[in-house]
Amino acid sequence: MRIRLFLVALLVMVVGLGGIANASSDTLVIGSGAEAVGLDPRLETDVPSFERINVIMEPLVKFDVEMNLVPALATDWEFSDDALTLTFYLREGVKWHDGKPFTAEDVKYTFEWVLDPSNAAPNRGLYADIDRIEVVNDHVVSFHLGKPYSFLLNNIARMPITPAHDGDREDFRQAPIGTGPYKLVQWTRDDRMVLAANDEYWGGKPNIPNLVFRAIPENATRLLAFEAGEIDIYQGGVVPQELPRLESDPRFVVQRVPGTGYNYLGFNTQVGALSDVRVRQAINYLINREGIVTRVLNNIGTPGIGPIPETLPWFNPDVQRYEYNPEKAKELLKEAGYGPGDISLRLFTNENPDRVRIAEILQFEAQQIGVKIEVFVEEWGAYLSRVQETDDFDIFILGWAGQLDPDRAMIRQFHTDGANNYGKYSNERLDYLLEYGRTVPPDSQESIEIYREAQEIVVREVPYGFINYSEEVGLHHNYIKNWRVHPYGAGAWQDVHLIVKER
Amino acid sequence: MIRYIVRRLVQMIPLLLGISILVFLLVHLSPGDPVRMLLGEEATEEDVERLNAIYGFDLPLHIQYFRWLSNALRGNLGDSIRQGISVTTLLSERLGATLELAVVSVIIAVALGIPLGIIAAVRRGSLVDYFSMILALVGVSTPGFWLGLMLLTHVALKVDWLPMFGRDGSIFGGLWILITQMRVDVLLEGLRHVLLPAVSIGTGMMAIVTRLTRSSMLEVLGKDYIRTAKAKGLNNQVVVLKHALRNALLPVITIIGIQFGAMLGGAVVTETVFAWPGVGRLIVNAIRQRDFPIIQGGVLMMAVVFALVNLAVDISYALVNPRIRYD
Repeated sequence: MRIRLFLVALLVMVVGLGGIANASSDTLVIGSGAEAVGLDPRLETDVPSFERINVIMEPLVKFDVEMNLVPALATDWEFSDDALTLTFYLREGVKWHDGKPFTAEDVKYTFEWVLDPSNAAPNRGLYADIDRIEVVNDHVVSFHLGKPYSFLLNNIARMPITPAHDGDREDFRQAPIGTGPYKLVQWTRDDRMVLAANDEYWGGKPNIPNLVFRAIPENATRLLAFEAGEIDIYQGGVVPQELPRLESDPRFVVQRVPGTGYNYLGFNTQVGALSDVRVRQAINYLINREGIVTRVLNNIGTPGIGPIPETLPWFNPDVQRYEYNPEKAKELLKEAGYGPGDISLRLFTNENPDRVRIAEILQFEAQQIGVKIEVFVEEWGAYLSRVQETDDFDIFILGWAGQLDPDRAMIRQFHTDGANNYGKYSNERLDYLLEYGRTVPPDSQESIEIYREAQEIVVREVPYGFINYSEEVGLHHNYIKNWRVHPYGAGAWQDVHLIVKER
Repeated sequence: MIRYIVRRLVQMIPLLLGISILVFLLVHLSPGDPVRMLLGEEATEEDVERLNAIYGFDLPLHIQYFRWLSNALRGNLGDSIRQGISVTTLLSERLGATLELAVVSVIIAVALGIPLGIIAAVRRGSLVDYFSMILALVGVSTPGFWLGLMLLTHVALKVDWLPMFGRDGSIFGGLWILITQMRVDVLLEGLRHVLLPAVSIGTGMMAIVTRLTRSSMLEVLGKDYIRTAKAKGLNNQVVVLKHALRNALLPVITIIGIQFGAMLGGAVVTETVFAWPGVGRLIVNAIRQRDFPIIQGGVLMMAVVFALVNLAVDISYALVNPRIRYD
């Protein structure tokens, strides 16, 4: 009897604890699709890590939601005319979370650490053209380059500055300090990361005193937790089928913006039938982009055109378009001397369900015109090994994210010596353009013309078949104000100190 | 008994060695390069080679294995390649969450499954029997992740006091606080969070326990000594619960042990659905990223736990049935 009473009492108390499930108004709870690997910008490569790093630390310059480079820890900068020296004028009066002042030495320290090969920083390649970093005075620092690199600024924007006086601490990666709007308080891996407002922040005291990142790997659970009010806001990893319902619900706000990535078919341009550009073009005509965007991707994203996102000024709207056209594909194959049944290709993809469906659709379309495509679905690690280290494939499906400038979007993928030119594509004129483009000021008309021609070549010669551009979707409750979805997920929370929670 | 336990523990050594060699080979011979995955798309060939040398991946396999083994014997399972944190730290911070989920799931399964099985057996052919067997069938055939999502959409979203995800404090810690400080709030907070994931794992297990209890009870109830006991005029309840159940429980305990052991390796899918910070997610992510030290250490830990649980099951036989002796 006593036990029964105790159980009833227990139940009553559980029910009584009800209200605390909802986040309170002095705490902003952000949902995230994955846990951060670590919090040292010099070592991390994944978006979930940078989502969090970017509220603790800041780069010299950053991309705003319109993808313009705007001041962060640097107030101004200038590139010398020969594109060999990049000088930054640093913000004065900025303090690290431990109270020490931020100076040019911190900038020098961060990039020298990254450039030191013994530290094995994954992103060293982004800064490899930097020869020497010169501290002019406490608030002026110059980067001297070995050869011209006009887009270095974009890469600088990817590297938050770490403190010279604290960055070598053994547990810095788990408990870093920065100059950003929030300070790390506590991190329970795979569960939550708790941060508190940095009242001394140079950009103004954050509106919300506490910030919590919750890692929820399953998209459906994250959405349910959002609807239940346990998280206030998140970006990325939405459940596409639910968007129409969420968009019509007055309690929620859905924000959408074109992203910075795309999915593509990669062709092995050196072996068999695919070494003939007409065969690649033929396959390209078989991609039903509209159908894939509506049916497979549930209208998240737009049909692919070329390697550069439509929102960047270098985007070339006049390139050849490959509207779905099996007749044209048949013609091209005939021209290349192939009849039905002559071509048999092996297409590889990882277990990503969207990609598997795209592969199957392509397989079906190809079959209709007598081209045999065998689809192989491989586990991610094995798949990457195959694509990156062998040429044992005809076609593969992959995606790129974070294509923030035309150089990054093309030189590694399409230059003959490009590190990510898995399909061994080569075009002399393109190589010249991509090399020359690095020496021309990015905001000049010449730069735009160089990259428009480069896109024209890539789209005509089809080393890639572009499937779709990505789209970023952000979701928040209507009581959240002053936030805009960022085209690049890593920058989603960089202005989190401005967010207002009105409830 | 002590001699038996020691002998079993000694027998674990070749088993664990064998498992560690097998995992080592599987991990190193399957395609996928941890260094390339760590460095990402920006990596240069020299960076890849340098890092391979740092981690010793350029050495012959048997030397790599003996290096790992000699460290493991000293309690050092190495550092995660990707996160740079020691594997023992990563495993131990998640072991509590996994253990908690497993214990509560087993409690749910046993507390419902065994009584249901007994009733079904005693009232064989009755409505209760059919009902519990249908329940068991549905329970066995319901995938845990689906049940989890259903619980979230139809229970947690409607019932305000059940959280959608995550873990908040340990229920073991909560129990300790309840005992020492007479405060129940920490325990309740922990229970609120563990309830739904435990139900979604426990349901399948409950179904198995119910079926097994029923069939095992039916077998025992037909035995001669039960007839004798009944003929003696013993109270039916005593016959069923004391004489029959004790004997019928042996196979049930075995199954519970196996299930419990398996859950300590982490219930990956349920952990993912409920964002539960357990061992399973850690190991599966490590496999995706080819984070060799975590895979190696994680599997070794699972093997140890499984072997220990098996031992505990064997010992519990003797407790349930005094006729079973070990020496």
